Amino acid sequence: MSTIALTYEFAARELRARFAGSFAGILWAVFQPALQLAIFAFVFVKVFNARIPGADAPGYVAFLAVALWPWTAFSDAILNATKAIQDNAALIGKVAFPRAILVMARVCASFVIHLLGFVVIVVALNFFDDHVRLLAGLPLALLLYVPLFALALGISLLLAALQVFVRDLVQLLAQLLPLLLYCAPVFYDRTIMPVAYQPWLSLNPFTFYAEAFHAIVLDHGVIAAPSLACALLVAAGTLLCGYWLFTRLDKHFEDFL
Amino acid sequence: MSDVLVRTEGLGKVYPKSFHHRDRMRALWRLLVSRRRIDSTAVLSDVSLEVRRGESLGLIGANGAGKSTLLKLISGVLTPSSGKVAVTGEIGALLELGAGFDPDQTGRENIMMTAALHGMTGARLKTSMPKIIEFADIGQYIDQPVKHYSSGMVVRLGFAIIAVLKPDLLITDEVLAVGDEAFQKKCIRWMQDYLDGGGTLILVSHSMYHIQKLCQHACWLRDGRVAMIGGVFDVTQAYLAYQESKLAAQDSGTERAGGDLEFMVEEVQLDDAQGELPLILEQGAGFSVKLRLRSREGRRPIIAIGIVRADGTPVYGVSSEMDGYQPMLNDAGESHCALRFDEPQLLPGSYTVRVHPLDPEGLRVFGTVERALVVRGNTSEFGLVRLAHRWLPQVEEKA
Repeated sequence: MSTIALTYEFAARELRARFAGSFAGILWAVFQPALQLAIFAFVFVKVFNARIPGADAPGYVAFLAVALWPWTAFSDAILNATKAIQDNAALIGKVAFPRAILVMARVCASFVIHLLGFVVIVVALNFFDDHVRLLAGLPLALLLYVPLFALALGISLLLAALQVFVRDLVQLLAQLLPLLLYCAPVFYDRTIMPVAYQPWLSLNPFTFYAEAFHAIVLDHGVIAAPSLACALLVAAGTLLCGYWLFTRLDKHFEDFL
Repeated sequence: MSDVLVRTEGLGKVYPKSFHHRDRMRALWRLLVSRRRIDSTAVLSDVSLEVRRGESLGLIGANGAGKSTLLKLISGVLTPSSGKVAVTGEIGALLELGAGFDPDQTGRENIMMTAALHGMTGARLKTSMPKIIEFADIGQYIDQPVKHYSSGMVVRLGFAIIAVLKPDLLITDEVLAVGDEAFQKKCIRWMQDYLDGGGTLILVSHSMYHIQKLCQHACWLRDGRVAMIGGVFDVTQAYLAYQESKLAAQDSGTERAGGDLEFMVEEVQLDDAQGELPLILEQGAGFSVKLRLRSREGRRPIIAIGIVRADGTPVYGVSSEMDGYQPMLNDAGESHCALRFDEPQLLPGSYTVRVHPLDPEGLRVFGTVERALVVRGNTSEFGLVRLAHRWLPQVEEKA
């Protein structure tokens, strides 16, 4: 009970801190990715003339937006939460409380912000692209955020614990995350890749989510039952593994901060 | 009232030796895989103590003796390296006032945060919030970011939260010495009420005054080990005596009588204390200084006897000449004499009795012999000696 309350307090503090002093406040959660989307749309659609293959394919902007928002939540959560323990060193040295809460709170904060953005953008896209399935797709899409959240939390717990010992991790992560993005079918459809490379894409944990969001919201492609089961297993496994490592190292944080 | 709130057994803490990049990697590897011990420095070892409900324990010791580490272990911030610590009940730890405050958030937001950290949420927080704000008494600053606070205001806010929280066990680390006079008084008064109401306290302080005022028991840590644990007066006095003698040892080095001098003090004995062991007296008890001295040329020396505190501050000095006393010499040129203090008014502490023989003209001093004297007692008076005093009857003021 108090764990939930404490997580809420930390997450609220995180949100307040992120938007403190800015006029638009929480609206930046929508502005910033929208701006980014506009830039991508211009570059890819106008400059590169990108299209999604297929007779009845959705527009490129909708295709990009639907997977880009979950990605932003995912990567933002991991990047922020990895530093959660290190950033709160002073607090950890003075007050006893379950430290996993700090990681949890940052992941929550990132997901809250970008989930909000996702809902707004899907509703907005609904007016421009008739491939968007608002009533049927949106609730299912939100459900898909659950395993994505578990995956992000698992990775974050793992990395936050390791970051205490190896401080280069967050630098490395800032380089690796974009790589992960470009190796997932977010900017492109899997079918435009050379056939030899296509199966490799499935090794990327985000590939499933990108394609699943496309399928749910834009009715583009299908979610295969085995890959869904696999993704759920990976999410649960990562969470367990992350939590195990975190509790293992938890006791020693204070000595190394 | 006798249930144990805190029990530690053989508690120890080592910190890993720090820290190049490679050390951290190696430490991580050992923690995860090989379970071999990390190179480390011991800061606390083998601490066993018990605190029961309603008791108050003062922790004293020099800087770096491990007091704060012990507090952190008890409050659960640190994990012990050896031994165990068992705590029942709700702990309020003030390891540092204002710890965990976010400078960018307002006082009110920080209260919510800190309260949540101490497990106070929802309805309880709602009713407590006005009380906390009232106790802190910082006016409209409560809705300003904490970074605009003076350090005193941060302290007020931090203490107010704990004061209203009323934990089963309060752990504080030298926090009474902050804030302005009025707020300090408020804190002390609150502490006293808290203790009278059955609260339990573990207090670290360098102020023996606060320790004696607030604690029944004390624990003296020296180099990470328990040097002494017991009643507050015994322990604080032993600690002060140790501190004083350490200072004095640095100051004076060793000056000993030696060689063949005209006058030699051959033996000094306080009551029947053996050899150079200190004489331990209860406060107010009398004692005798017995001496044997030798005069090479058969002349009668003047004997000066003084009492100094262990740090060298003189308390009282007198000589045989002042009192008109003449030591008698036997055929061998030896003199046995004794000086009796019937009612020394020394307050508890550690003292040194010094004996100096002087030539009959009172011009030259021949060596000095010292004996230690420890006075024990339970008084809260200050200083070196008790001065006779009485309170005058009050006179009604005329209207």
